[in-house]
Order: sequence, then structure tokens, then C-alpha cells
Amino acid sequence: MKTITFNQIKTSSIALEFDEVIPDNIYTWDNSDFDAYQVPIGNSRFPITDFFDIVIEGEAESPAEVKMVLNGDYGRVKYIGCKMSAGEIIVNGNADLHAGAEMSGGKVTVHGNVEAHAGREMSGGKLEIMGNTKEFCGASYIGEWRGMTGGEIIVHGNAGKQCGECLTGGSIHVLGDCDILAGIHMTKGVIEIDGNVNRWPGGQMKNGNIIIHGKVGRLLEGFVEQGIVTDPEVQGKVYPGKYIEYKGDIALNGKGALYIDAEKNRDRLSTWIEEDDEYNAIRVYREQ
Amino acid sequence: MEYILKNGIVYDPQNEINGETMDIFIKDDQIAESVSDDAKVIDVSNKIVMPAGVDVHAHVAGPKLVLGRLYRPEDSRMGVSQKTKIERAEAGFSIPCCPTTGYRYSRMGYGTVCEAAMPPLEAKHTHEEIATIPNIDINPVTLFGNNWFCMEYAREGRIEEMAAYIAAMLRVSKGYGVKIVNPCGSEAWGWGQNVHGYDDKAPYFDVTSRQLVVALAKANEMLGLPHSIHIHPNDLGHPGNYPTTVETLKSIKEIKKSTKKAAKIRDQTVHNTHLQFHAYDGTSWKDASSGADKVADFINHNDYVTGDVGQVTFDETTTMTADAPMEYDLFQISGLKWANKDIECETAAGIIPCIYSPKTPVGTLQWAIGLELFLLVDNPWQICMSTDHPNAGPFIRYPRIISWLMSAPRRMEMIENGEVHKWSHKRTGLAGLDREYDFYEIATITRAAPAKIHGFPDRGALTPGYKADIAVYDVNPNDFDPSRNPEMVERIFTSAAYTIKDGQILVKDGDLVATKPSHVIWTDVKGWEREEAQVLNEMMPFFTQYYSVKWENYQVHDHFLSNPIKVEVPAK
Ligand SMILES: [Zn+2]
Repeated sequence: MKTITFNQIKTSSIALEFDEVIPDNIYTWDNSDFDAYQVPIGNSRFPITDFFDIVIEGEAESPAEVKMVLNGDYGRVKYIGCKMSAGEIIVNGNADLHAGAEMSGGKVTVHGNVEAHAGREMSGGKLEIMGNTKEFCGASYIGEWRGMTGGEIIVHGNAGKQCGECLTGGSIHVLGDCDILAGIHMTKGVIEIDGNVNRWPGGQMKNGNIIIHGKVGRLLEGFVEQGIVTDPEVQGKVYPGKYIEYKGDIALNGKGALYIDAEKNRDRLSTWIEEDDEYNAIRVYREQ
Repeated sequence: MEYILKNGIVYDPQNEINGETMDIFIKDDQIAESVSDDAKVIDVSNKIVMPAGVDVHAHVAGPKLVLGRLYRPEDSRMGVSQKTKIERAEAGFSIPCCPTTGYRYSRMGYGTVCEAAMPPLEAKHTHEEIATIPNIDINPVTLFGNNWFCMEYAREGRIEEMAAYIAAMLRVSKGYGVKIVNPCGSEAWGWGQNVHGYDDKAPYFDVTSRQLVVALAKANEMLGLPHSIHIHPNDLGHPGNYPTTVETLKSIKEIKKSTKKAAKIRDQTVHNTHLQFHAYDGTSWKDASSGADKVADFINHNDYVTGDVGQVTFDETTTMTADAPMEYDLFQISGLKWANKDIECETAAGIIPCIYSPKTPVGTLQWAIGLELFLLVDNPWQICMSTDHPNAGPFIRYPRIISWLMSAPRRMEMIENGEVHKWSHKRTGLAGLDREYDFYEIATITRAAPAKIHGFPDRGALTPGYKADIAVYDVNPNDFDPSRNPEMVERIFTSAAYTIKDGQILVKDGDLVATKPSHVIWTDVKGWEREEAQVLNEMMPFFTQYYSVKWENYQVHDHFLSNPIKVEVPAK
């Protein structure tokens, strides 16, 4: 086992890029390798040792035997764990864009908040975020219709817009609230949200499953109520409780399943229109 | 600057030089009879020397490309490389950014590329993009096949007015020739329809595709343009479309080729682009099969026809064409993201990503039909290399296509070991074809024939006085068997030992060593000024009322052009 600890010396207002500093590449590195390595910053490169005091303990035969511990503020360090296939990275602080993007194995844990595109196009491994994350968590690359295909993302805080966009496999669990359009364009996989969702979960989803334990603000018109289900089983896992099940998005002939907590969303069952603030606002406006 | 390319093995089909060892002299930007003693000698012994490549049909500049790049950022992240002292950063695979397009053509030994679809309304933008593509000269052909004025002239049989309109529009758009895409079909798309077959009518305009194409061909020959009409016929990509293709070509038979000087270089009166997409038999994808033999047979018996193939290369690419209804059909099949672009009174384009997989029946059928066309058309002067870049594959795959053409064993290997789906031999005759191209024929389909078809008087051959556009490939054909070494063939044509453009060395050993601004080539018709003024006068009220731009802003003025080469077509 080899532990490589990065103790931050100084930060940079222009982001550092860490996609080369992953266990796959550095499991054989010793101090002299780090001394020689220049890290990309904007359109240039600078010695990584200007920014971090790097301590190496132990030996590794393979990337899987590497644990990287990043101490300090990584709010301007992008691509942490990007494309890694094995090993572990622990960030004791915030992380910038694309943390855990395209990872295929191993584990990344961030004890702070993470910027957008966390876990983008993951195909395996586990990304755990103890704080909040922003837009496009577990999403695809912009324009790409093949998103995250495998692995697991756990967000202990809140997730931003379009979480799990184009999800093609794997699972995302948000313990906090989730912003609009979770699971947009998804075709496979599971998104579980413990908190509330303001609007439009599953927009244009073709398949896959979304489970929401909190209150849902607005649903898209393309979701058709299927009735109340108890303890539904989704991809081998039972979700205890009562849920209203929807099928959608029928705008795209979608066959996705959306389960929302029946108790917290009971108003939705019959007369959701009356409860909908925005709809009411428009109606009141029209009646004037 | 003077150079001697010494001791190369030269393939120059226009001058009927087939593998002779000889020296080529360069003085400044031209090929010369001789040079002074100061000339720099470049030893190219045991290497192949050819005129620089000429691409007969590709989509490299214009609004479709921009829409494609905006629409497919995921394509741009492929093929990324950092800038160097010589190059700007590269990006993109099927729709590379403008500088990248120039670099990649240059590395393959190309010097000239026809941009195959320029709508007049977006001509300015097309020229702006051409100006940012280095190293290759570009002749954009202007779209006329769904133009409202042309449809009206065709219906009323006013060929002279149509000719005058074309002359005016070539000047307005700074275009090179007459391009026709799904005649009447893209207009029908404006009504949510398409035309089916050659004798179907565009809604409202009450004119058939046949009337329009024949009228445009007549006008083209009346003007005596250097290039013939360049057509993408109706029913692209539909099983059972080959009769439409043959019908279209047949209808041009009686039209006499112009006897004017500019039109002398070419032999054809019609160039049918991406024939592969137009050579399908059957009635649906269930029973689709190859119609390549019928199309090839027609071409073999009719020397007024030329074509290029639009070879499928088994890549994830982007389809983009001014055949908007076809793109919508494709979208219905694939379900991938789709974009549509309406060009007012001129045309409409569509874009969707496309994955041609050797594991799927349809993609494989298309691949095999393309190769059949290459192998079944007897005269290599009548069939050119193309992938209809990026529609059937990106242009950087030309070397791979060359390797398939030069190696029957490689083709059989792909069929026999299951590398490609079984439709390759069950639905086509590819497995029965053992023809192999030689280097002379490759030189014909990739430079000599495209240059002749476009009527270029200054390139596509190593004739003294021609542009010094030359490619050198590092292989000795006298002790090399391309049939047994397809990978090597692909490698040598991918990275030229030298690419020389206008007498400047741009590529050495496959690497870019210099860049230069491109030229744009356009056709200036003389002697029709009075007729042009008349038709413009007549169309102006309509133009003013319905076009979204002013006439003054519609025209591409001279200062918009990057190093123009004006081809003058003198009066009657
Ligand atoms: Zn084309």
C-alpha cells in the first residue's frame, strides 16, 4: 500500500488540472518524479511542488494499491480522479469541475462541496461527495447522448440541475434535494433522491428509474399516473414505502418509471392543478 | 524558389505517365520544363510522385458545418492536439475545425477540395470559413436545386433566363458551379413533404424534379461552365432508389456539352455525387440489396456521366446535407439528435450523428455497395474517391479506402472472418469481385479525374505551367505488393513524404512544416451582363419582399474572398 499525501502550499486562481495525477499514472512515482512533474494550469504548466508538499509512504505494485490524500482547498483543482481505473483518492476539502469524471474504477471521496460535472461519464467505481454538488452530476459530456454507464455516485448534500442527464447505467443517490430535470434523457440506471425536487424530474427519459422520497414541485405532462405501489422493487432493490408510480416521458414514447413518495405528494393524486402555484398564477392572470 | 524532385516514380494519369522514373522541376509556384543550376535538389528516388490530391466532393465550409460543430461538441473533443509552432490546436473528428481540416488534407497530400454545397444566402459565411482553412484551395459549388427562381424558370421553360440567373448568382455567391441536391425535395420539405421519384412535383411550384434538372443542365451548358451540373438525385438512401438515379442520368443524355473553351477540359455533362447512397435495390430495408451493378452498367455505357462514390468507412460520423427530408427520415430510424436548417427561398439542410457499424446489416450493405461501384465502373476517369465527407465517413479515411481498393484479399478477409455483417456478400456481389486498383488508377480517382471533372486548367497533373501541387509517398511500387500489405498502403497515403502546394513544401515525412493561406476558386461568366441585369430586375421586387437580407448585404463582395482565383468564362 502506498499513501501519497498532498499538503497544499498555495492556491491558484486559474485552475490546476489533475487528470494526469491519478493512481494509474503515479503508482510508481517517487519524490524525484513529482519534482520533475509540471501540472497543467490554463494554457501552461508549472511544477506541482510549487503548490503541494508531497509525502510518499509505502510501495505500490499497481494503481489499486495507491491512496491519494489531498489536504487543503481544491476548489480550483479540476479533474480530480478523472479517468482513474483503480485506487483511492480522498479530498479533505472542496473539489472543482469534473471530479471523478470518466472514472472506471476505484473510489473518490470528497469531504466538501464539488463543482459541476462530478462523475461525468463514469463507467465504474464509486464517487462519494459529503457536501453539495452543482449541475450535471453523473451526466454526459455536453452534446453526447451516452452518459454515465456504470458505477455509483452518492451525494450527501444537494445536487444541481440535470443530475444524471443521459444516464445510461449505474446509480446516483442524492441524500439532499435535487434541482430541475434530474434524469433528463436517461435511458437506463437508477436515480434515488431523498430530499425534495422542485421540478421536472425525468424530462424526456426513455427508460430507467427515478425514486423520489421528498416532495415534487412540478411534474412534466409526459408522465402518466399508474397508481399507488407499495415497496416497489427496482433493479433488485426494494424501496420500502408507498409511492405514486408514473410512466414516461410519453412525449418520447418513454417507458421510464418514476416513483414519488405517496404521502408527501398526496395532493398530486387527484387535483394537482389546484395545488400548483405556477399554474394558479397563470390562471389568475388570465382571469383578470 | 526552384526545386528538382529527383528520380521519383511518377504517376500522372493526365499525361499518361505510369510509374516512370523521372525528375519534376518546380519554379516558384509552377511546374517547369527546366530549372537553373541554383535549384534545390530533393531526392525522391524509390518514392511515388503524384499531382497533389483533388477532392471532388466534400463538405468542409459553410453553415451546415457550423451548425454541426455547435450541435456536436462531443465530436470536437475527439482528435484534439495542442498547438505547435506551426499549427494551431487541432480538434474534431468528423467535423474538424477549419484549420484542422486544412492540416489533415495536407498531410494526406491533397491540394484542392470542392466544397459541395453553398447556399447563396449563406455564401458569405462559407467564404469566411474557407479563409480560415489553410493549405488547400477550395471551389465552392452553389446550390440551385431548390431555388424558387430556378423552379419558376424551369416550369416556364425559360432556359436563357435561368442561365443568366446562374451567371449572376455565381458572381453574387462567388461560386464555382451548379450543385443540385434532392431537386424539389428540399423545397417540398418546407411543406413537410418530400418528392418521391424523378417525376414528382414540388408543392405550389408545379414543377417536377426532371424539368428542373434538365433545365439546369441546359443552362449550365449554355453558359459553358468549367464544371457540369453536380447532382445529388432524389430518393437518397431509400431502398429501391437506383431507378431514380438511372432515370436522372438518362434525362441528361440528349443535352449537348458546351463547345466553349472553359468547358473543354471535362468530358461529362453530369456528375452524380455519392452514388453509393443512390444505388439500392429492393423495396424496404427488409429486402434491400445492391443496385450497384445496374448503376455501374449505366455509367459504363454512357461516357457523359461521371460520379463519386461516398464510401462508407465504418465510423461514428455526422451526416449533413441540403437534403433535409432525408435527414428527418434518418432521424426517425436512429432516434439520435436531429437539427434542421431552413435557408429561406433556396434550400434546407439537416444534420444528425450517424454510426456506421460493420456489425449492422444496413451499414455493411452501404459499405459493400460503395466498393462495388469502385470495382464495377470500368473507367477510373468516371468514378472518384469520396466519402461525401463527413456523411459516409471523414476524409481522413481515404487511405483506408485505397487499401481496400488495392487489396482483394483484404476485402475477402473482412467478409470471411465476420469483420463485417453477412449482408456484405448475401445482398451484394462484392465477394465475386477480385479487381484491384493499381497506383495509376488510384492517382486517377484521387487527383486526375476529379481535376478534369471540375474542369481545372491548372491542377491535377504535373504538366509544366500547372500549379506546383505535388504529393510524394514513401513507397517503392516496384518492390511492394499493395495487395498483400493493406495496412502499409493506408499508412503511406495517410502521411505524405512531401506535400508541395504552389511550390511550397508544407508537409515533410507526414508532419506539417509550414502553412499557407488557401485560395478560393470561383467562376466569372462574361458577356451575359445585359441578361443578368434583366433577370435581377425582374426578381428584385420578390427579393426585397421575401428575403430576410437586403440585396446589398446578400452579395459576397471581393474583399470577402481569400486569395481568389477567378475562372473567366468568356461570352457566347
Ligand atoms: Zn455531399
